[in-house]
Amino acid sequence: MSLLTVDKLEVVYQRAITAIQGVSLRVEERQIVALLGTNGAGKTTTLRAISGFLGLDDARVTEGSIRFRDTQLENRPPYEITRRGLALVPERDKVFPNLTVAENLAVVPSRTSGTARKMEERAYHFFPRLTDLRRRTAGLLSGGERQMLAIAAGIMCDPDLLLVDELSLGLSPVAVEELTKSLVAIRDELGVSILLVEQSATVALGIADYGYVLENGRIVLDGDAQRLRDHSDVQEFYLGHTGSDRRSYRDVKQYRRSRRWYG
Amino acid sequence: MQLVVNILVLASIYALIACGYVLIYRVSRVLNLAHGELMMLGAYLLVATASGLSNSPVAALLLALALSLVVGGMVYLFLMRRMTGEMVLAAVLTTVALGILLRGLILLIWSASPRHPRDMLGWENPVFTLPGDARISLYAGLLIVSTVVVYGALFLFLRFGRWGMRMRAAGQNPLLAAQRGIRLHAVFALAWGLSTFTGATAGMLIALDSGLDSTMVMIGLKAFPAALVGGLDSLAGALIGALIIAAAEVGVIRFIDPLLADVVPFLVLIVMLVVRPWGLFGTREELDRV
Repeated sequence: MSLLTVDKLEVVYQRAITAIQGVSLRVEERQIVALLGTNGAGKTTTLRAISGFLGLDDARVTEGSIRFRDTQLENRPPYEITRRGLALVPERDKVFPNLTVAENLAVVPSRTSGTARKMEERAYHFFPRLTDLRRRTAGLLSGGERQMLAIAAGIMCDPDLLLVDELSLGLSPVAVEELTKSLVAIRDELGVSILLVEQSATVALGIADYGYVLENGRIVLDGDAQRLRDHSDVQEFYLGHTGSDRRSYRDVKQYRRSRRWYG
Repeated sequence: MQLVVNILVLASIYALIACGYVLIYRVSRVLNLAHGELMMLGAYLLVATASGLSNSPVAALLLALALSLVVGGMVYLFLMRRMTGEMVLAAVLTTVALGILLRGLILLIWSASPRHPRDMLGWENPVFTLPGDARISLYAGLLIVSTVVVYGALFLFLRFGRWGMRMRAAGQNPLLAAQRGIRLHAVFALAWGLSTFTGATAGMLIALDSGLDSTMVMIGLKAFPAALVGGLDSLAGALIGALIIAAAEVGVIRFIDPLLADVVPFLVLIVMLVVRPWGLFGTREELDRV
């Protein structure tokens, strides 16, 4: 049985706007799964639906199911879901800006009592740079450090599945490289599965085992990372390759090829 | 010298009440406009326990304090909980309704006649003479002491306590706090409990000092400018704000006209709102969420 099974998920905002429709995906144990797509494709909504909505979001899962291990997760509040072993690293507002780095980690309640100390050591083990920044206010961290802290806080939740929204957004290639390495290390050492939402297919398919492509609120393509990397449409629209290395301008079509997905 | 003592006593009353406004506002961005009524309810709880346990006054006082903590938590769990994650304005209006309801309820149960819990408990209220020929009653002194204790404890709790940190975190970003596994309802219930507890402490001490009737709400209302002048999301601000309001009020009573006393806090409030609407120590961007 899969760790996480999302089946024909439909999410409606403000009782009127359908954000995603019929999204199905699976995450197996110890797997890194990438969810690709352009702006507004519904990636973040999918992650938010899995990690739970608050009343504030005015959003609901109206159809389909989310099963994590043996429990159904749809429309439960986030704090219940996190305590079941599913932690989210959100896209924006991912740290508490007025709390220090150490406090950001300390506020996370431990899933099993008495493990707070161990979890903290673990977080600093994966992100040693945070050790020096312990007393720094989180709002003063750089983008890369902030992302580190967010992932570290995610690990503090002692998750079985880590959901990461936009790992590389607004970060330098060096920082992204470092972060992807830590994610792989977290998977290898802790056996945590990771569902990674990304705009940059190069980053995501570099570390993922499996990938899904989401467009206009629907899954249009899925497969092994290798298969997606080789897929001509993914190459053209997400990886920025144009097929052969050199191409004569005479062969370039005058119109932009539209995306047609046949799986 | 007497002037300074009067200012200090009044300032501690306002500060002790104002920290309740600040606690709830900081955690949930909700202005609890029923705080004055909750404070009065706390004082009446003492009347209730005092009539039941008149032979063991200390137990009566402790029981009333514990009850006030529970009442605050219950108000959240049974009423305000439904408002969590909804529009802040709806929650604020709910507190207005709660305040009116509580006022009516208190009148029904305890009637409008003044009560004197100190006599019921059989305690004295000796007056001490301080150096400089200033006089202060025992319970007024206790008001100052408990303000210092409450503020010290709150500062330490919010700074170093795990639940205190969680309260700060939930105040900054409730969604992220929930996503990190923090039980929002527990945090908010705690904030309401603590806020009612501190308010009730003030209410009980005032009632012990000078008796109690339904006009006590006015004191709660006058503490609101103190919280706002200091900045609604700042405990230190509430302390300073209370001092400013108290100084202005005592000064006006002494030098201008005692009849103006009830108006002064709101005059200061209006001036503050014109000059610096987010308060002395408040955070500027908080304002658009009020």
